[in-house]
Amino acid sequence: MIYRETGQFRTSYAEDQAIFRLREDRIGIIVILAIAWVGIPLVADEYLLRAILIPFLILSVAAIGLNLLLGYCGQISLGTGAFMAVGAYAAYNLALRLPEIPLLIDFLLAGLIAAGIGIVFGLPSLRIKGLYLAVATLALQFFADWAFLRVHWFTNYTPSGSVTAPPLDIFGWLVDTPLEKYWLCLAFACATALFAKNLVRSRIGRSWMAIRDMDIAAEIIGIRPMHAKLSAFAVSSFIAGLAGVLWAFVHLGSWEPLAFSIDMSFRLLFMVIIGGMGSILGSFLGAAFITILPIFLNQVPAMVGIQLSTAMVSHLEFMIFGTLIVLFLIWEPHGLARLWQIGKEKMRLWPFPY
Amino acid sequence: MATATVTPPREAAERSVRRARQIGEVLLAVENISLRFGGVRALSNVSFDIRRGEIRAIIGPNGAGKSSMLNVINGFYQPQEGRIIWKGRALSRMRPYDAAKGGIARTFQNIALFKGMSTLDNIMTGRILKMRASFFEQALWIGRGKSEELRERAFVERILDFLEITHIRHVPVGKLPYGLQKRVELARALAMEPELLLLDEPMAGMNLEEKEDMCRFILDVNEEFGTTVALIEHDMSVVMDISDRVVVLDYGRLLADGTPEEVRNDPAVIEAYLGVSHG
Amino acid sequence: MAELGPVLEVFLGGLMSGVLYALVALGFVLIFKASGVFNFAQGAMVLFAALSLVRLSEWLPFGVAVLLTIAIMIALAWAVERLVLRPLVGQHGLILFMATIGVTFFLDGFGQTIWGSNVYQLDLGIPASPWFLFENLFPGGILVSPIDVFAAVIAGTLVVALSIFFHSTKIGRALRAVADDHQAAQSVGIPLNQIWLIVWSTAGIVALVAGMAWGTKLGVQFSLSLIALKALPVLILGGLTSIPGAIIGGLIIGAGEKLAEFYIGPLIGGGIEYWFAYVLALAVLLVRPQGLFGEKIIERV
Repeated sequence: MIYRETGQFRTSYAEDQAIFRLREDRIGIIVILAIAWVGIPLVADEYLLRAILIPFLILSVAAIGLNLLLGYCGQISLGTGAFMAVGAYAAYNLALRLPEIPLLIDFLLAGLIAAGIGIVFGLPSLRIKGLYLAVATLALQFFADWAFLRVHWFTNYTPSGSVTAPPLDIFGWLVDTPLEKYWLCLAFACATALFAKNLVRSRIGRSWMAIRDMDIAAEIIGIRPMHAKLSAFAVSSFIAGLAGVLWAFVHLGSWEPLAFSIDMSFRLLFMVIIGGMGSILGSFLGAAFITILPIFLNQVPAMVGIQLSTAMVSHLEFMIFGTLIVLFLIWEPHGLARLWQIGKEKMRLWPFPY
Repeated sequence: MATATVTPPREAAERSVRRARQIGEVLLAVENISLRFGGVRALSNVSFDIRRGEIRAIIGPNGAGKSSMLNVINGFYQPQEGRIIWKGRALSRMRPYDAAKGGIARTFQNIALFKGMSTLDNIMTGRILKMRASFFEQALWIGRGKSEELRERAFVERILDFLEITHIRHVPVGKLPYGLQKRVELARALAMEPELLLLDEPMAGMNLEEKEDMCRFILDVNEEFGTTVALIEHDMSVVMDISDRVVVLDYGRLLADGTPEEVRNDPAVIEAYLGVSHG
Repeated sequence: MAELGPVLEVFLGGLMSGVLYALVALGFVLIFKASGVFNFAQGAMVLFAALSLVRLSEWLPFGVAVLLTIAIMIALAWAVERLVLRPLVGQHGLILFMATIGVTFFLDGFGQTIWGSNVYQLDLGIPASPWFLFENLFPGGILVSPIDVFAAVIAGTLVVALSIFFHSTKIGRALRAVADDHQAAQSVGIPLNQIWLIVWSTAGIVALVAGMAWGTKLGVQFSLSLIALKALPVLILGGLTSIPGAIIGGLIIGAGEKLAEFYIGPLIGGGIEYWFAYVLALAVLLVRPQGLFGEKIIERV
């Protein structure tokens, strides 16, 4: 593999500011996109699409949402699951009560509603920091769990409390096969990633990072902490809300409030830490890791003849997650994404590491 | 006392003539400022002014209230009494954001850079107030979202060039040595195109060579861009060399105010400051 | 006056469960005071201690099992100090907090792997049947569970013991010095690592006591770990650094959520115990960010 910076001279700031500065990276991303859009659909079976790829893509979107807040703006949230729930139930109720609105518009409106809730629960971040904010977002999580379970209006008074999404009609395109669903999720994931990447390389992203790294200094150079924090909350919860809609409408089809419990919030937190705080790529890597690990634990020991009980698998998962969180925080707070980058650096300079 | 001689005497004389022309009206006036933390008086009834185009030094022993004074000027502390007059208008309940918007930039005694960002991004944050692109333009990288980034990038490159730090533009500032970090912080403040630049011990902890570089940069900024500078510094030879006027604080009170020459010969200053431990 | 009986019963019941929250919150406060770490794993420590105790006591005399569990909790404190805190020393509080979330998940998985994940009964020989108080004042009297009373007594004893420990022993003074200023404490020769070990061990023992109290009440099971989440609003309410704050915060939250459930619950669908504590804490945060008893944080540049 030839991976070289030598000989590639950037002659304008536009080239130097591009998302992928190296020609090899640009080729790489085109190859990856081609595989994702064309290659995988040619070979993947229904199980792979349904059980792995679709959840992976949706969780990546949600992880990008949390990463913008936690990794870029330094504001912790233990309530990402709640923002997803808000998105899911908002879209459900919009589709149910205002059927004349096209479904895709419902999705975006649901995202906006989640963003509104995000701003409201981000307000405490103006007065309180770090750990206290964790509690404020937990408050939202518990309140949302309760509201969607007990306030039956949200679930249209269905006796079981579980609701079913309407058929996925995207401007006349009826999305019902796993492949079509995969493409839909892929489109959302690509759009979110691009949108997020553009934000973090612009003024707004820089003001988030400034707040994260040193809020006092940020204020002194003219960044308003309120704007920066609330915009991070809004964008993050918009994306999480959208991911919630996809999770409910595309992945689950019908769901209960439990689908967005605190468990989901923690999983997303792990994706961001393991994948890499402050990295869009890391959100994908983290989501992939957390999606694949349980499947791996379920299948690989069985292949080599070790039978693990379901409880055992779940305990093992807990232990592995816990250990990895601590290890990554100690050794590589920028997660898998940083490891990937280090690998690339090595390759770029190889065989002369200096 | 450590020395960092910047200008030989003859040049200094020429400079003073040139400077007399450069220095203009009062840019900022501090009037009867008193600041207390609980029972502790950090500043009592301090008044002085800063004129456009000058280099103004604030000196005094440790704990004299110098940093508190800067914090009052750029809105980080709210004084209990007194007022700040900025370009002829009294500012009340000013926040750091207002100061930044009004054209006051500063650096810190303990470097306050954004550790997780590159040199370039750190300095780009200094341009935030100059940027107008809407949320969607930024998210979609279209229109002003893109054009402003490129325009400001070009501006920041000139500062990188001016301060001779182009080679570290993509390095995360956390990995830079101390002296360079100080320079990046100055660069970020300059990126704001401030009218008044507050420097809190810009040369603390530097070796002689770094100090000379920093002095040169401060003088160049002042002369080329006409930026007014107020700085806190412990190295007396630096202060005497580069500043036009000096304020001396002691225990939160104004002890003396005048040209380096006047201050140096002020008996109270010699008694309270130069006489003790700093010799 | 006929109404007062049930209300009083709810109130007392609330106070009693508040004491149990306070027991968990106490562990948090100890660690936060001495090491500035917001230890999310306190709940997992409660579960781990209770599981260890209940499984060990199946084949060991109870007293031996208790001693052995204490030893296990000290070993755990040592491991956490060595493997997690020491490498992360000086890091941002948020990083440490997330690391303790990692510890939480590890401990939950590890505890259930080695000790099993069923519901285990912990029998401390306390009568299960409730007591009825003031039968002459109210029809039917007021129902009080002996387990709750036992827990309250234990908690009270623990708080007194900790206060004495903090204020009258050499180690206690060192702890307070560390809590005030890490660097200053270190420069006068107080070994930080030892202090942390002591504090985490103490928090481990507090977790054991909390685990015993909760385990007797609910059975030893995974949900004990979630109780930690209930202790968070207690902390916010009481202030992160105040031991009396933890106790009073616990009582306010315990009684408050039961009374809220009693009065407001029926109006809006019930189950508001689930979030009431959090919303109360959030409201307090907005008015008084440092909590009722916490120290005000002054920012410096």
